[in-house]
Amino acid sequence: MNKKAVQWLYRELPELEARGVLTPEISGKIRRHYDEAMTSGKTMLTLMICGILGALLIGLGIILLIAHNWEQLSRFSRAVLSLLPLLIGQGLALWVLRTKPQSGAFKEGTATFLSLMVAASIALISQTYHIPGDAGTFILTWMALIVPLVYLMQASLPAAIYLIGITVWSSHYWNDSLKGFLFWPLAAVVVPHFIWTLRQEAYAIRSALISFIMIICVSLGLGFSVGRTWPGSWVIVFPSIFAVFYALGSFEFDSLTTNWQRSLRGLGGLALIVLAFQFTFRDLWKYLSGDVYAGVGETSGWGVVPDYAIIFAIVAMAMFFLLKTLKRGSLTDSLFLALPLLAILGYLLHGQAVVLLLLIFNAYLLCLGISHIMAGIRSNNLPIVNGGMLIVAILIIVRFFDSDINFILKGLTFIIVGIGFLVTNLWLVSERRCHEK
Amino acid sequence: MKSKLIIGLFCCLSVAQIATPLSMITRRESVLKNGVLFKFKTAAVDPYDAFRGRYVALRIQEDKAPLPHGRRLSNGQNVYALISVDDLGFARIVAVTTRRPGGAPYILALVRYIDKGNVRLDLSLDRYYMDEAAAPAAEKIYREHARRDKQDAYITVRIKDGFAVIEELFVGGKPIKELIPSS
Repeated sequence: MNKKAVQWLYRELPELEARGVLTPEISGKIRRHYDEAMTSGKTMLTLMICGILGALLIGLGIILLIAHNWEQLSRFSRAVLSLLPLLIGQGLALWVLRTKPQSGAFKEGTATFLSLMVAASIALISQTYHIPGDAGTFILTWMALIVPLVYLMQASLPAAIYLIGITVWSSHYWNDSLKGFLFWPLAAVVVPHFIWTLRQEAYAIRSALISFIMIICVSLGLGFSVGRTWPGSWVIVFPSIFAVFYALGSFEFDSLTTNWQRSLRGLGGLALIVLAFQFTFRDLWKYLSGDVYAGVGETSGWGVVPDYAIIFAIVAMAMFFLLKTLKRGSLTDSLFLALPLLAILGYLLHGQAVVLLLLIFNAYLLCLGISHIMAGIRSNNLPIVNGGMLIVAILIIVRFFDSDINFILKGLTFIIVGIGFLVTNLWLVSERRCHEK
Repeated sequence: MKSKLIIGLFCCLSVAQIATPLSMITRRESVLKNGVLFKFKTAAVDPYDAFRGRYVALRIQEDKAPLPHGRRLSNGQNVYALISVDDLGFARIVAVTTRRPGGAPYILALVRYIDKGNVRLDLSLDRYYMDEAAAPAAEKIYREHARRDKQDAYITVRIKDGFAVIEELFVGGKPIKELIPSS
């Protein structure tokens, strides 16, 4: 439910009534309909949180009761009792599937509880038999046993646990490109659920949460699994994946209204800006060929195929979205999505023309900042103007720290940038007031 | 119809979820019941480990064997470590092989690294779990007895078809649980 849209509708209703577009009766019906929908959304959320907390407390209580006499029990009894949390989790989930199959809150709560109890059971048995600490195998077994719950119970929290789990798993194989590559097929398992959640209820908290975790985990997984056989490729692949996030957010979920809901676009854009700033530093390009991953993986032979395939696929997606944006003619979006292209240029030229690259990326950030300021002024949107000014201000400040200009001049520049911020904001606020009058 | 299918699939998943820990239990119970008993001397380990607290960290003293002639082994590779028992009754690794041995007792291991003609092995016998309250005290006792000048700490391990399960941790000839002052 888009809260802002409903609030807008509520504000419009009296005028629609006054103009005779709606009768007071219809207007009342509309209000009641949305009131109910909003309240049921809140009830669902409360139920979900209470359900998860309640189930967790019950589970912990049972474990504590068992643990109280743990040392007195025989090894076999302990092992069998270790299965108890799992059985309780399964019992609860089955009860929900049979009696409350329509309740998203109950399904989410019990599926999460069961996901955690699977881990609890395996961990308790590991302790009973002194099983060595092989975190990779433990996590992968756990994830394989819980991922079907995502689809059987249409639950997003187990999907979030799964994404975090496979990311941690891939971090164990950061120096083994072939094993690390498995992160991608493993992550793909929950993509249909991710798409389903966003299509079903783009405005719900769970969509925002799963988007947020998806972005973080895919970015980290990319860092752990890709580029081992191609030193320096990170400068191409990271801007590309962030551009893909940004584009997906812009194209597919343009109607979302709050930044919390727009995590794909927001986090993608933010990461692109941070990367662009990194690209304005000389040392990054100077030492790119000898990056830390060089030599970790083989750089020739069949072993490089998965690594190269992932890199090319991500870059191809980024280029596809760049072309799509150029066709739409949105300057700010096109600028964001142009970063992967500039990064490819940077990768190709970093050995010969570092100064040229620094000029390009400084100019790029300046253009990005100015385009935001212009777009914000055109739409009278203060946060966008401030975002643009922040980009320009950080660029100026960073370049001043870089150079050997004396501190008085540096101080003066800070003051001028600060005044610029204040004056623009005051001007925009007064403009807005004039419009409102 | 759809809900029946979902419940059916959920039941299948539940079976798999129970089967995994159950197979862990039965495999280890079978080894503890039918496996051959060996004693492995243990050495002191680095006491700094942020995750410690519920177990005593162990290191097998005899975790190396000569590199087999004409064989290239790589780090992380699975190997079979052949075991023999010395005059004092403690197990030692005498050789490693990449093929499953016929009659001699052996333990499945991973190559940790190759060092001056020796293969250093990971025997996956690296922790002895205890009650949270007892583990720190046990760790302290263990460290004192695993020092170079004492070295009278050892674990008993049951091995069956190369699969090893720790049975007990002994310090100074007694099970460690008996040495912890009861609270």
